[in-house]
Amino acid sequence: MPEGAMAVVKPEMKSYVWLETADGSIQQVEEEVAMFCPVICREILQKSMGSSKLNAIVLPERVNPATLGLILDYCRFHQVPGHSLKERKAFDDRFIRLDTKKLCELTSAADSLQLKPLVDLTSRTLARIIEGKTPEEIREIFNLPDDLTEEEKLEPLKNVTDDPRIRLLNRLYARKRKELKEREQRKNIEAEEEHVDARSVDDLLSFINGEDKETKGAKTSKSKKKNRRKKALLKECSNNENGDHKELNGVSYLNDNDTAEDGLLDSGPSSEMLDLMSPSKLDFDDGDIDDDELDPAMKEELDREVEDFARRLNSDWPERMQEILSRGQGRKLTPISINGNGSAQGYTGHQQR
Amino acid sequence: MDNGTAHDFLSDLPLSITEIILSYLPIRDAVKMSTLSTKWRYRWASLPQLSFCDTCVSLSADKSVVESKLIKFITNALLLHKGPIHKFKICTSILQGCPDIDQWLLFLSRNDVRELTLELGEGEWFRVPSCLFSCHKLTLVELCRCELDPPPGFRGFMSLRTLTLNQVLVAPEAVESLISNCPLLENLTLSYYDGLDLNLNAPNLKYLCLEGEFKEICLEDTPLLEVVSITLYMNTDEIQEHFEHSSGCNFVKFLGGVPNLERLIGHIYFTKYLSIGVEQWTPPLTYSHLKIIELYQVSFEDMKELLVVLRLITNSPNLEEFQISGSSNTNAIVEAPNLEFWETECPSDCMFKLLKTVKMTDMCGVPHEMELIKFLLGNSPALEKLSIVPCIYVTELKVDMLVELVKFRRASPRAEILFLQE
Repeated sequence: MPEGAMAVVKPEMKSYVWLETADGSIQQVEEEVAMFCPVICREILQKSMGSSKLNAIVLPERVNPATLGLILDYCRFHQVPGHSLKERKAFDDRFIRLDTKKLCELTSAADSLQLKPLVDLTSRTLARIIEGKTPEEIREIFNLPDDLTEEEKLEPLKNVTDDPRIRLLNRLYARKRKELKEREQRKNIEAEEEHVDARSVDDLLSFINGEDKETKGAKTSKSKKKNRRKKALLKECSNNENGDHKELNGVSYLNDNDTAEDGLLDSGPSSEMLDLMSPSKLDFDDGDIDDDELDPAMKEELDREVEDFARRLNSDWPERMQEILSRGQGRKLTPISINGNGSAQGYTGHQQR
Repeated sequence: MDNGTAHDFLSDLPLSITEIILSYLPIRDAVKMSTLSTKWRYRWASLPQLSFCDTCVSLSADKSVVESKLIKFITNALLLHKGPIHKFKICTSILQGCPDIDQWLLFLSRNDVRELTLELGEGEWFRVPSCLFSCHKLTLVELCRCELDPPPGFRGFMSLRTLTLNQVLVAPEAVESLISNCPLLENLTLSYYDGLDLNLNAPNLKYLCLEGEFKEICLEDTPLLEVVSITLYMNTDEIQEHFEHSSGCNFVKFLGGVPNLERLIGHIYFTKYLSIGVEQWTPPLTYSHLKIIELYQVSFEDMKELLVVLRLITNSPNLEEFQISGSSNTNAIVEAPNLEFWETECPSDCMFKLLKTVKMTDMCGVPHEMELIKFLLGNSPALEKLSIVPCIYVTELKVDMLVELVKFRRASPRAEILFLQE
């Protein structure tokens, strides 16, 4: 009986405050719950706000009625002393089961109310959602605009992870672009193709794939004399690339890439650290490998390899990025193939010329 | 900007929040965020905390390759970073001492680094460059497997609160002066430290963790010490010999000046160490704040060790938790134990008013163990739980232990006795 009496009395004893959200709606909330937010607490204690509907505490703009409801749920639980750590954790785990949009809104709202424990909780949750995901996945989850060029996307990775596959892709990309430019110059008939540079790798590749056969004939009559040595080297390289490619098709292609990377890093120039990938630089790189001086058969073969590799890199780009980025966590035990290593040496020599 | 349904909520978060989110990500993921969109480009680069570990690079069979990759990764990250670096941490088994680390540290020393953790792999130890000693803003230093040699003119770290040296080669005098030159030092951990002699002067020290070979530890000036955890190795001949000829009371040297002690954890040999000279110890010292005592590998055959245990607990009137483990040396069971000891040494008016939990592990059922149980049960009116885990070698004695246990009088009507097997 006394307990029942208490229960009846208690609500009457509770004091309430009035809160107004940016949309103008006003609601009445238990004072002790609202006081858990430092911003509201200050308004009540320092400015004596919230005591009536006319004197409602105006909440920051980032707090909308829906997030306010969530925040009050959070405060209602955590302002009560005596919950064990385990209970708090269980509550938090249940509490943050929200879609990412709500999570972001909640983080922002909690931040504007200076409710630090909730900001930490939601930020940690967002980080957990992001961790280990590919940029594509993250973009999709959070509706991020895909407003970076391929080059820009690679740049920070190149600088920090210095992944030679990215370097390789860049070289392939640059070479293809130059090739297209040249073709364009030669066959001025199709004048529509104007801004080759601006197109995505996908466009370039489909273009290459579609038009490759027609253009080949135009490029075959070349002087071969002075470039014999270069050719030999390229042949070696292309054979190795071929080797690479075979392995790429197989299960162990990643580990092969790893060794390729290792080879590159072994002798890789350290000055590449801040080597930003300006197009001019790429063109310069490209000049190194003058496709036009190749004999046609080899050229064809090389083209195929390049395309294949580029397509591969491109088609499963999300997975590849994921692999690139998660290397070291996932695949510690993959064996290294000696064959792959040999090809890596070939690449290195090639690159340094 | 965005059309209709697809709104970029993540990027619209205030910078302070995106920084928190990035700080919760492993640095590799944080860097990767740069490839998301223009708004996230190089956001990671102004993170004030940088933490590197083996997962920053892919592993391969060739160690030197992985090492150079990690070095490059860290160097690049520092080069691309902008703004203050408050926290710098490397925990790796890949890296050993290399010139690059010196350069990183020099870079950090010019960036007012506050928290520095260097945990490098086994192999060649790395010598901490002198620039570390000019990082005056340091509040936390954690070093593992390196050589530390403060320059002659070193005046101390004025802001340092936490110092952890694990497997660090450093001269005993250097450690002592380093510690006494950090006036704010609160947490000190020395592990795998074989300095043998250690005199501590740390007026602000609250937490002390020592592990290593010691002959003498003297807490000269540590009035605020709250938590002590000690692991001693004294199995070398030199140390044994030293103890045979030592004079003075280790108990007094060690625990004579720590009135604020709240928790004491003594691992292997600690009780033995304290027992040297304990019979000379007379002044009644009371540890009125001591709430938790844990003593491991106590030899119940050694009357001096038992004396240490008794002195400790009977001088801790506010003890709440007591844990003790035997050294399980069943061969050394004394034929005729001196049980009078308990009558003479246990003050009859001693009460453990607040003692709630007692845990005894590796018990063999020897008479002195049973006497201790009897003493605790009979003088702890608030006891809630006494758990006994017999030593795994004890088989037939278990029943005897239980029979005797049942007989003991209990001061606390609520006391629950748990006899746990395995």
